[in-house]
Amino acid sequence: MRGQTTHPDTDVLAEFHAGLATGRRGAMIAAHLAGCDRCSALRDELAGVSALLAAVPAQAMPDRAAQRLDTALAAEVARRIDSKRARGDSPRHRGTAGRPARNRGWRLVSVRVLAPAAAVVLAAAGYGLSQLPHRSGNLASPSSGVARAAKSAGSADAPALTPSSGVAARAEPERMSPASFPFWTSHTNFLPGTLKQQVEAALRVAESAGATQAAPAAVKACVRHVAGSANPLMVESARYQGQAATIIVMRASKGEVALVAGAGCSASHGKPLVTTTVP
Amino acid sequence: MRDADEQWPSDAELLRRHVAGDDQAFGELFCRHRDRLWAVALRTICDPEEAADALQDAMVSAFRRAADFRGESAVTTWLHRIVVNAALDRLRRRATRPAPSAGDEQAFEALAGSAGDPAHTTDIRLDVDAALRILPPQQRAALVVVDMLGFSVADAAVILGISPGTVKSRCARARARLLPHVSHLRGNRSASESVSPAQGGDT
Repeated sequence: MRGQTTHPDTDVLAEFHAGLATGRRGAMIAAHLAGCDRCSALRDELAGVSALLAAVPAQAMPDRAAQRLDTALAAEVARRIDSKRARGDSPRHRGTAGRPARNRGWRLVSVRVLAPAAAVVLAAAGYGLSQLPHRSGNLASPSSGVARAAKSAGSADAPALTPSSGVAARAEPERMSPASFPFWTSHTNFLPGTLKQQVEAALRVAESAGATQAAPAAVKACVRHVAGSANPLMVESARYQGQAATIIVMRASKGEVALVAGAGCSASHGKPLVTTTVP
Repeated sequence: MRDADEQWPSDAELLRRHVAGDDQAFGELFCRHRDRLWAVALRTICDPEEAADALQDAMVSAFRRAADFRGESAVTTWLHRIVVNAALDRLRRRATRPAPSAGDEQAFEALAGSAGDPAHTTDIRLDVDAALRILPPQQRAALVVVDMLGFSVADAAVILGISPGTVKSRCARARARLLPHVSHLRGNRSASESVSPAQGGDT
């Protein structure tokens, strides 16, 4: 077949695949690919490199690095406060309801100090899905009762519902700090109209029953992406409008807020779909 | 559910609050994106200690230069740009020093942390990390931003400070260069074996 003896090299195929070979040159490569199994296999391999790279899980920031950033950030904040004082300005603290912010000892990165209230995040959990199909929320789920989280795997790093978010969960060294939160699985189907009430109920159940399962890595990754690095009060694998979802509850200074993240939630993708406060 | 916006401010809002003097806003913003920013620094530099240095440089720089943000791009794009620049700066400065050897991988793994990963996932990650080291830093940065973090070519161009065409060509060359080093990680082993020998003729 024509052109078979002059196979484009890998670079050329990669450029073609990236959309860089246009016009006559592009047409020639396309024509060659159409008739050459070897080169079209190579082109597929090149496409596979991108797919492989995209599939490599993101690594969470190690505690050691987060602590360094905290220190640096605290120093920056202190520096700024000092320079404002020197100019006679009084620092403003939006969102902290008049509570004076301290300028020392913060752990803003490794443990976020949340200005707002406890947050509840609902993250659609069909991790492989690219979008959430809208089958209406009719669920033949017999029980919206919550699995009791009977298995207490790794109870050591389930710090339970401690009153303050300003305290770091004592994670083991070298592990990602955010890995610790109470986790459980339920069949609850959260619905837009009743989200607040359902979240409240779930919190009550979690507090009384204890949620001590080990969260799957995919859930942890999603939590980190959507919620930043605060340690959630509770994470629940459930459903939202009939689709697999993860509910993430975080405590802060006043009230609570719920967010519903989009499908395909992972370490790097997925924005909250819906947010709501919980009284 | 309007009140929830107040409870979960956007990135741009947090940055605005930071510039206006809110002392917690920047921490919250950075925290929100810390793992992705860490990933881009780590994978561009291939050394956790230096990645932490670069990320710290970048964070301080972003903190101080926040008022310069004009909103032409998303806040995340802006943050990633600062981190990539800091990472490439570090790489330039250490260009005369030898690259970390493969022997560092255990320390690397310990620092990078693999808690919760299934073993084979960790293996693939280590193999990919090792393969990425063979790339020139500029190509690696482009590939990390586009293929690993999933930014569009247009956003990657802003992050890397180069044209979209240059993003594409750097990514293309990087993929071609990486291919022989990662084809064994993909399920389709036979395809790669049938192709590899023929490649010798091109070089």
